[in-house]
Amino acid sequence: MQGTLVGNRMIGTEAPVTVGWDNIGRVEGGPIKRFIFTHFQPVVLFGLIGFWYYAPNSIAVASTAIAIGISFRILLLLLEWVNPRYESWQLTWKEFATDLFYVSLGYTLLRMVDSYIGSDALIEGFLAQFNWDTLSWFTSLPLLVQAFLIVFIFDFVQYWMHRGMHVWYPLWLPHAVHHYITQFNINKGAVGNPVELFLIGIGIGGFFDFLPRAVLLAGALRLGVGIYMHINVRFNTPRWWRYIFNTTEHHSIHHSQDFEASRSNYSGIFIFIDRIFGTCVDGEAEVLGLEGGRRMSIREQMSYPFTEGWKTIKRRLNRPASNVPAE
Amino acid sequence: MSWRLINWIWHIRGSLSLGPGLSSDEAFERLDPMFQQDGTTHKRADETLVFHKKDQAAQDKMSIFDGGVLSVEDGDPHPVLRYDLKSRALLACFIAPLIFLAFAQFSIILSGFDNGCAGGDRTSEQCAEETEEEEDVEDEVQKELHPIDKFLGAPPPKGSDEEDEAEDEEEEGEEEEEKMKHSPTRAYIFAGIFSVIYIVGRFLESWLIKRRFRKRLFPEDFAQAPDQTV
Repeated sequence: MQGTLVGNRMIGTEAPVTVGWDNIGRVEGGPIKRFIFTHFQPVVLFGLIGFWYYAPNSIAVASTAIAIGISFRILLLLLEWVNPRYESWQLTWKEFATDLFYVSLGYTLLRMVDSYIGSDALIEGFLAQFNWDTLSWFTSLPLLVQAFLIVFIFDFVQYWMHRGMHVWYPLWLPHAVHHYITQFNINKGAVGNPVELFLIGIGIGGFFDFLPRAVLLAGALRLGVGIYMHINVRFNTPRWWRYIFNTTEHHSIHHSQDFEASRSNYSGIFIFIDRIFGTCVDGEAEVLGLEGGRRMSIREQMSYPFTEGWKTIKRRLNRPASNVPAE
Repeated sequence: MSWRLINWIWHIRGSLSLGPGLSSDEAFERLDPMFQQDGTTHKRADETLVFHKKDQAAQDKMSIFDGGVLSVEDGDPHPVLRYDLKSRALLACFIAPLIFLAFAQFSIILSGFDNGCAGGDRTSEQCAEETEEEEDVEDEVQKELHPIDKFLGAPPPKGSDEEDEAEDEEEEGEEEEEKMKHSPTRAYIFAGIFSVIYIVGRFLESWLIKRRFRKRLFPEDFAQAPDQTV
């Protein structure tokens, strides 16, 4: 495969990747359908921000956020059916059930574990140990600035954690499991080894105070942008959006079977972080996964980091000593 | 007890009349593309085809099945294709509600160990008082809105001078519900969801596979929308 030169890297030599925005697919159909799938993302995002900015305190609570999140996911599942990006990513019963298993693990068991050893719990313990208070640097800032900071601080840490996972083998082992997915659907972001899901959730936001409404606004930003990372819906995403935010297109390149392409687009929300550090590749890919698209069972997803890690250790220990003559 | 009484949980069985003029050889030939997928091995002997799948792709239209047997038998008046397919995914989904019920019990036990709020030494009133104290501390760090937000009309933060006290009282009820550190509610909800998903999957996949076999065996009946994906 010929590949395309992006910076000093050849992208798409091992698997098909569309580089640049000129050749990516567009929404097909009548003018109403094209209008809806062109403006859907910004309208929803600004709608969510407006709602959380002005909602009375009695409504601006976590339970409302959960209800909106679930309803929005159901709507997007319908959109996957109405306007899929690729037929090969079509959601099946098995994929839906598997994805939901990971979503439910995140809401139950992992949440319990996180409450003891998650970054927020550790930071709380750390601050309590030294009798320190959280830093209230940001609470006097405008709400939207606070919301941006909450998301940006987390995303910035996540960018480096994610990048670290792709370049350092011990971190790659738990993250590799997530890269075995061969299609994008709305809940695919939850698929991964629990160790990785824990690592990718590490943040330093617990050191800072924010107004509760700013936290809800940050949640709206994450929902209104981050949810499109793993989705099988074709949108005509606006140019300004894809310059600032991560998109399905960006993330599909990250999940490509092409090795060089997979080492790009690490951020979760703000693709401009990748642009700053030179790891952004614009474009899209359909053929995703590892090992030629082999599907990994849940059992293997749970054990892979440990079994592969053990195999690697054994290989290294059994490696014959090199015949270097003694001096 | 017959094994068959319970293995319907993960087995999908069915039959299709092959009609006149379709021999077993032709039938298996038409079905052959369904078994030419990555991770699929199959073996045919006389009137029977046995297949196995390992690490089957998500894009494989039979990915839900891990193995099975198809056989052509004499029927009245025409030969009949019978199939018996097994699916670990169905079995896992059947068991999933039990796993989440276990998580729910675990969360109740853990809450009891943690703070006594769920059946431990302390009464629920004591726990509620502690929760309120913690919230009071949190309230102390809350600030007023930035002038820009005031100008734009955002509601003032809870606990600020401008906040309507009545709203505070309304929320107290909701907050009390969350005083248990690890609520089992989510696990119960997911147990229910997986029960529904299993029932849907058991019927849906049974219908889908029959439809796919029919599409392969009688493409003329589906001439308008040929299935090219299997």
